[in-house]
Amino acid sequence: MTAIAVHQFAHCITCHAWSPDHSMVAFCPNNNEVHIYKSLQDNWERVHVLQKHDQLISGIDWSVRSNRIVTASHDRNSYVWNLEGSEWVPTLVILRLNRAALCVQWSPKENKFAVGSGAKTVCICYYEQENNWWVSKLIRKRHDSSVTNVAWHPNNLLLATTSTDGKCRIFSTFIKGVDTKDSKAGTFSDSKFGELIVQLDLSFSWAFGVKWSASGNTLAYAGHNSMIYFVDEVGPSPLAQSVAFRDLPLRDILFVSERMVIGVGFDCHPMAFAADERGIWSFVRFLGEKKTASGSKYGSQFSEAFGKLYGQPRQGVGNDSVESSRLRGCVHENCINCIVPLKEPGGRGSTIKRFSTSGLDGKVVIWDLEGQDDLSQYL
Amino acid sequence: MATTCDFVEADNAEAIITRIEHKSRKIESLLKQLKPVEALKTALEGSPPNTRDERCKSANWIVVHRALMAIKDVDGMFSSLDPEYYDILMKYLYRGLSTGDRPTCDQCLRIHEKLTERAGLGCILRSLADTVNTV
Repeated sequence: MTAIAVHQFAHCITCHAWSPDHSMVAFCPNNNEVHIYKSLQDNWERVHVLQKHDQLISGIDWSVRSNRIVTASHDRNSYVWNLEGSEWVPTLVILRLNRAALCVQWSPKENKFAVGSGAKTVCICYYEQENNWWVSKLIRKRHDSSVTNVAWHPNNLLLATTSTDGKCRIFSTFIKGVDTKDSKAGTFSDSKFGELIVQLDLSFSWAFGVKWSASGNTLAYAGHNSMIYFVDEVGPSPLAQSVAFRDLPLRDILFVSERMVIGVGFDCHPMAFAADERGIWSFVRFLGEKKTASGSKYGSQFSEAFGKLYGQPRQGVGNDSVESSRLRGCVHENCINCIVPLKEPGGRGSTIKRFSTSGLDGKVVIWDLEGQDDLSQYL
Repeated sequence: MATTCDFVEADNAEAIITRIEHKSRKIESLLKQLKPVEALKTALEGSPPNTRDERCKSANWIVVHRALMAIKDVDGMFSSLDPEYYDILMKYLYRGLSTGDRPTCDQCLRIHEKLTERAGLGCILRSLADTVNTV
């Protein structure tokens, strides 16, 4: 059993993000607000409600170093929220879109953020000191449909996008005055803003949930046809692998190491995919197939030892009739649409042992890969 | 991959028809040798022409239908049919179900049940999302 905490925060959650120290969680309860909960002793208390958007919030990202929240909404705008005293102060970012914003992510250096939208456009936003203003620069006429997800390469320059036209694309987002030429972008450092580096045509249906591995060497994204795609050596001649699986499609994915990916989606169970010694990716198994301690209200600081204590007895139980217990004993009871890493505060390593998922059932679930013998070989 | 253009010219259609006729003869001879699974493989192979030409599509369907109806032992078929055929087989099963013809639907439902057991819902999704193979 790998789910160590289950929190029923709302009826439905569209997206969530954690504060840098993981003591607070921000999520959108399927409306125009962001709720921030803080863990106080044993329970979670609502400490802030961010109200500024007019419509459903589709993306939240909380920057680690600068402690800023960025939100994107169907009202076609973004806000950057700064904590001043005890208040979150919003700054409007006019994205210049004519359709809903669908996803948002801070760049690794946190000096830019990217917004994907239903206007077949990606916005790269950066702060202009002299005007005290976030400027939105658009990458237009490159997508044939809505941009469902964006992912920053660790070099802070390359941005990968997935779209409902089925393609995954990689762009350069070099902005003069914000980025410097000497950054470790290698061969891509000379590319201009908005330049299409590569377009991957692996999927013929909607594409979702693009992510880079921590090193930036591998890219993965999911197709709405129950496929997941892994791309190595992103560049002029990418090496691609397609993995078909037998269950419902994925909505979002997460690299927990260079060799393992967790996928979440319509199946309500996170799936683990891993690469063997030859680099061939395949489906390994579901996470949390057995019945869980649902409704338990443990904080995110929940000690690992306690997690093990809870985990091991149950691991022995559910060997009988996997299929039926899989359906009844779900941790999530509806589509999971968001997976977020919980990096250990001091941890410099690139492997992620903990992550959280949220979905249409309104739960935020924290997962731990500790003590999973069959999976630890890929970490 | 979708390299063939969406609409084919008349002579291209003729070439496809010739290919289907060739496939049909091969299937007939395999069926005569009592190799229904081999016949089905042949039918599913040689990817269905990516064409909007109704004549090609129905000619191809007749051939696949012939092989599909010849399957008597569904479990036996799956033991020798490789998983790479599952997605395209599923797509043909839905084509069969859309005919509304009683014996065809019976056969397709019988195979569909076993195929879903083996290949899961993902297979159905892939067959629905597949825009390359027109059946």
